[in-house]
Amino acid sequence: MLPHLDTAYTLARYLTRNAHDAEDVVQDACLRALTYFDGFRGEEGTSARAWLLAIVRNTAFSSVRRQSPDALEFDEVQHSGAVADVHPEAALLRSAAKETLGAALDRLAPEFREVIVLRELEGLSYKEISDVAGVPVGTVMSRLSRARARLREALT
Amino acid sequence: MTHPSFEAQVDAYLDGELAVVDARALEAHLAQCPECTRFRDGQLALRAAIASDIPKFQAPAALRDRVRAAAQARSGARRRFTVQRLWRPLALAASLAVVALGSWTLARRRVAGEVLANDVLTSHIRSLMPGHLTDVLSSDQHTVKPWFNGRLDFSPPVYDFAGRGYPLVGGRLDYVDGRPVAALVYGRRQHLINVFLWPSPRGPSGGPKTRDRQGYHMLHWTTADYSYWVVSDLGSAELQEFAQVLREADSP
Repeated sequence: MLPHLDTAYTLARYLTRNAHDAEDVVQDACLRALTYFDGFRGEEGTSARAWLLAIVRNTAFSSVRRQSPDALEFDEVQHSGAVADVHPEAALLRSAAKETLGAALDRLAPEFREVIVLRELEGLSYKEISDVAGVPVGTVMSRLSRARARLREALT
Repeated sequence: MTHPSFEAQVDAYLDGELAVVDARALEAHLAQCPECTRFRDGQLALRAAIASDIPKFQAPAALRDRVRAAAQARSGARRRFTVQRLWRPLALAASLAVVALGSWTLARRRVAGEVLANDVLTSHIRSLMPGHLTDVLSSDQHTVKPWFNGRLDFSPPVYDFAGRGYPLVGGRLDYVDGRPVAALVYGRRQHLINVFLWPSPRGPSGGPKTRDRQGYHMLHWTTADYSYWVVSDLGSAELQEFAQVLREADSP
């Protein structure tokens, strides 16, 4: 667990967008992982890292939902258009001024943010990301490609 | 004109997740399609921008301490019991083992070097058999390096020395010395050079040691980070020059 703590913290940090919440999420997730570790046998090729990150991810998602219960439910189709933003107003903000890459990442829906963090920052394979996010590899690929398309707009 | 089916593969290709057959088809297409090449370059630029602008974080020390304490508390009771019962006989056995191990390792280290050289040479020869040379076929170091992500527990330094007459041909996974290692393939005219590397616990050594076997030349050295083996049928002088180029690229 300790070898993956930085990765866990980085993921939580980008999902909660807040240092304090990230710390709470990781601690919470680690305690949960310790409790359930006996249940983890590394079966079906799930790596210990992916297993821990999945717990961190789910803890972070419920923490974020608890804090803003009115946030839009993620919808693969609805969020898959040209924009992958959490809020519709984001499009207006974006056109108003050129935003930084970090701001663009923050504004993505967390489902898109997490694939970027896991792939680009932490170098997880598609299979591992699919284990963490609990979606098929094909979904991981389409989310990655949409998130990247959206981030490229911030570069131009 | 754009090619959505190829564009869709570019991400998987750059992530090192595209099957070898598809990767070859994509490379062939990229070679003659400026639009798709532009798209790939944009994706590469994005990766570079993310790498430089989006930081990874370190878990705060206090958090690390709390997690460690929680983990210890959980396994503590059981371990204390075992440790107290076992430590005396263990200590005795350990001191005996240290003496025996000391003399044994000295003898063994000499043999180990030879075994390893054989291992490396065998891998080199096998790689020259049809279809065994590369898993990722690309002269682009930014394609070859990320390909190793998730396949190895280290990220090998990859260079392109095309300007010095040693173009990058590709890379593959290999298995040497009881562990998965990176094998990078460089070319020199009709000759191929295999560079094997893996993290070394030993620390830097001096200049390369040379060995000649079955008509192949082998060079071995260790940097601060990696153990290197370079094998080729290239002339000894040229292989030395290549090793020099590689060592210069490695030294900051």
